[in-house]
Amino acid sequence: MNDNNSQKNLQSSSNDTQNTLARRDFFRKSAALSATALAGTSIFAGTQAMADDPAIVNNVPWGIKFGDPVTKNLYGMPSEYEHNNTRRNAELLSSGNWYASIAMCPIQESEGIITPNGLFFSRAHGGIAQVDPNQFRLMIHGLVEKPIVLTLDQLKRYPSETRIHFIECPANGGPEWRGPQFNSVQFAKGMMSCAQWTGVYIKTILKDLGLKPNARWMLAEGSDNSEMGRTVPIDKVLDDAMIVWGQNGEALRPEQGYPVRLLLPGWEGNLCVKWLKRLEFSDEPFYAKEETAKYTALKPDGTAVQHFYVNEVNSIITSPCPEKPWTDLKKGDLVEIEGLAWSGNGTITGVDITFDGGRNWTEASLKGLVLPKAWTRFSFMYKYEGKPLIIGSRAMDDAGRMQPTIDEEVAVMGIESVYHRNSVATWEVTANGEVNNVQVRS
Amino acid sequence: MFKLDRKSLVSISIITAVLVGFTAQADTTSATSKTYTSGPNKGKLVIDGGVTYPVKNNKTSSYYVNSDAQKGGYSYGRTPTPTELEAWSRSVTPKTPPPEGHGTVSDGSELYDSKCAMCHGDFGSGGSGYPSLAKGNAYDGVKSLKNQRTSDTADGPNRVFGTYWPQASTLWWYIKEGMPHPAPKSLTDDQVYALVAYILNINEMKIDGEVVGDSYDLDRAKFLKIVMPNKDGFVPKIDGPKGLDNTRAFFNNPKNIGAKTSKARCMNNCIKGETKVTRIKIETKDFLPPLSIVRDLPVKDKNANSGNAAKATYDATCSMCHGADGMGAPVVGNKAAWEKVTSKGMDAVYHNAINGINGMPPKGGTDLADTDLKAVVDYMISLSK
Repeated sequence: MNDNNSQKNLQSSSNDTQNTLARRDFFRKSAALSATALAGTSIFAGTQAMADDPAIVNNVPWGIKFGDPVTKNLYGMPSEYEHNNTRRNAELLSSGNWYASIAMCPIQESEGIITPNGLFFSRAHGGIAQVDPNQFRLMIHGLVEKPIVLTLDQLKRYPSETRIHFIECPANGGPEWRGPQFNSVQFAKGMMSCAQWTGVYIKTILKDLGLKPNARWMLAEGSDNSEMGRTVPIDKVLDDAMIVWGQNGEALRPEQGYPVRLLLPGWEGNLCVKWLKRLEFSDEPFYAKEETAKYTALKPDGTAVQHFYVNEVNSIITSPCPEKPWTDLKKGDLVEIEGLAWSGNGTITGVDITFDGGRNWTEASLKGLVLPKAWTRFSFMYKYEGKPLIIGSRAMDDAGRMQPTIDEEVAVMGIESVYHRNSVATWEVTANGEVNNVQVRS
Repeated sequence: MFKLDRKSLVSISIITAVLVGFTAQADTTSATSKTYTSGPNKGKLVIDGGVTYPVKNNKTSSYYVNSDAQKGGYSYGRTPTPTELEAWSRSVTPKTPPPEGHGTVSDGSELYDSKCAMCHGDFGSGGSGYPSLAKGNAYDGVKSLKNQRTSDTADGPNRVFGTYWPQASTLWWYIKEGMPHPAPKSLTDDQVYALVAYILNINEMKIDGEVVGDSYDLDRAKFLKIVMPNKDGFVPKIDGPKGLDNTRAFFNNPKNIGAKTSKARCMNNCIKGETKVTRIKIETKDFLPPLSIVRDLPVKDKNANSGNAAKATYDATCSMCHGADGMGAPVVGNKAAWEKVTSKGMDAVYHNAINGINGMPPKGGTDLADTDLKAVVDYMISLSK
């Protein structure tokens, strides 16, 4: 009782009005001072005669009073100052409404190879289903000797595996077949994210169900508004296909199919069916609704690639990017060029960087963990010279594939394919360090 | 004492690191395979053209595994009852036909106008991002699939049901389980047949040589005779016992999908001749929220605290039609449009909201009590003044 009261008192003592006033005052002062500081730097070299930084010489507001009690935010939230690190939408990427649409991952702000659960890109075909885990059932039937139905608790009794894998929508970059469209890495390449997934290999479950010899295909179907379904070849089911319930150490988020989704490492996000309800084995493919006008890649000869499973080897420079330019750099600064590489076919083996739009290439370093079908970081140390550049990256994988140029990809796929665009992406860096989305053709 | 301990610890860990390093490297290189190494597909190329990571020394790629866990022996769950199996086995495929039933084009046309036209437009013309269902004669339309929009004036390919889809079963299944979008699984089998008949009609399609005209009555037998104009337009060929091997061969040939092998890696003077740099012509930037990497405090949303039931209902249900242009419904926030609506008096507005008007179903498809529905109407009008 007493504790509760004192907490309330503590909270009310830091009320909003005081906060705002203090902050406004603080910003005004620091703005004035930093203007002086800037002028000082340009006139006097080195450290002499520089104005003092109020962030150092003054007490900061959060240092002279209580912070929040540990009883606040029992499920933690990011700092309010991080509100711009968020998923974003665009009407162009919606099928008429916000239920059949996508929220893009802010990869310009991504650190390392794990996407936080609240920022993972989110695609739905009939809204984000809110599933009651107590009513969750998974049915596995069709060409198996022993069909079963599992509750969530029963499913989670199977021995678990934990893997780091990216999930990417095959339409990532798809709006740009005809030319660059978004001056933003979030919208040019943000239909993907990477997480640590926990679940069970389907092959482990099948050991006891007895797959019939003529079972060649598996339908995975969701329980949401759209009953999203896709056909999966048995090869993948018996290789590394998983049923997952854990995402970065906690339950899947509703946006990722809570309580359970299919995970086909490296393959189209659309195949990784969310809000999973059943797996049906058959000798013939199912021709589900997302295997028709959508998720097929039309070529210039009028034929279309169907069952185009894999997100092929790909990469993007995330620093610099249009959102995070080099406008603050001065000539002679040493700066890290950083980016993400990934391949649904296997593991990244190397990334090359170009500064002249693809005429000449230099090998970049990989850094951090390098895992199959996972985001892989690459890095290159560059001495900034303030001259215009066309920078780009080109990744290779252990399946022996590498990213094609735009010309090479378009020569086969044309520009109406919509899906699976993995050609080399480039940024233009202007003389003053601004970064723009451009495409290089020869 | 402490110093000594730490020194010996460090030297041990260096040795371990070196050993682990060597072992890990050896494992990774030896346990990557272009073919499956176990199971019924043993020896066959990986189906997507990539590699697989067989378990070796209790490791797959960089991950340790408990190989005992993957041996099976689990008896979780139970056998589904016949009724349960039937309830969830509703796939309609080329091999699994839809249930018996029938419906006419004219019934379908009426249904379409009341349940579908608000999104898919008159005669399946589409609009506001919703898919078109027809683009004239399907048999002629197949030719458009070779169109490439290489200039601003060029026509693109028509990827609608009639011109593009390989199987009619997909349409039946889609409508039955996924449509209408705001209220899926609400149509009877006969209604689905009627809507399929109507969509065949607007695609000017034939069944068994007969045009699907206004009085055509589609039943299961006729449905099974539908031949889609573009049924052979897809690669790889996935049907039949060779389906998987066709798929495997297709994706293991990089040329089929514009892929490139790292054998073609070039480091210097890789482009002969001049290059052309294409910049953004018409920039798309209607991003929500707007792009920014600034670290400041968020501006408080004035409407954030008006989170009442009416707002929730509007956001969840009504906004689908009233939140966007081109749906035919007065858009919330459009003062002129709502002045026109309210000019007939509020009683008329409530009456129309409850009983439906134009493309809007009664109560907008909700099951709200009249008073709650009126509150939603009031909320929408309050945002449109």
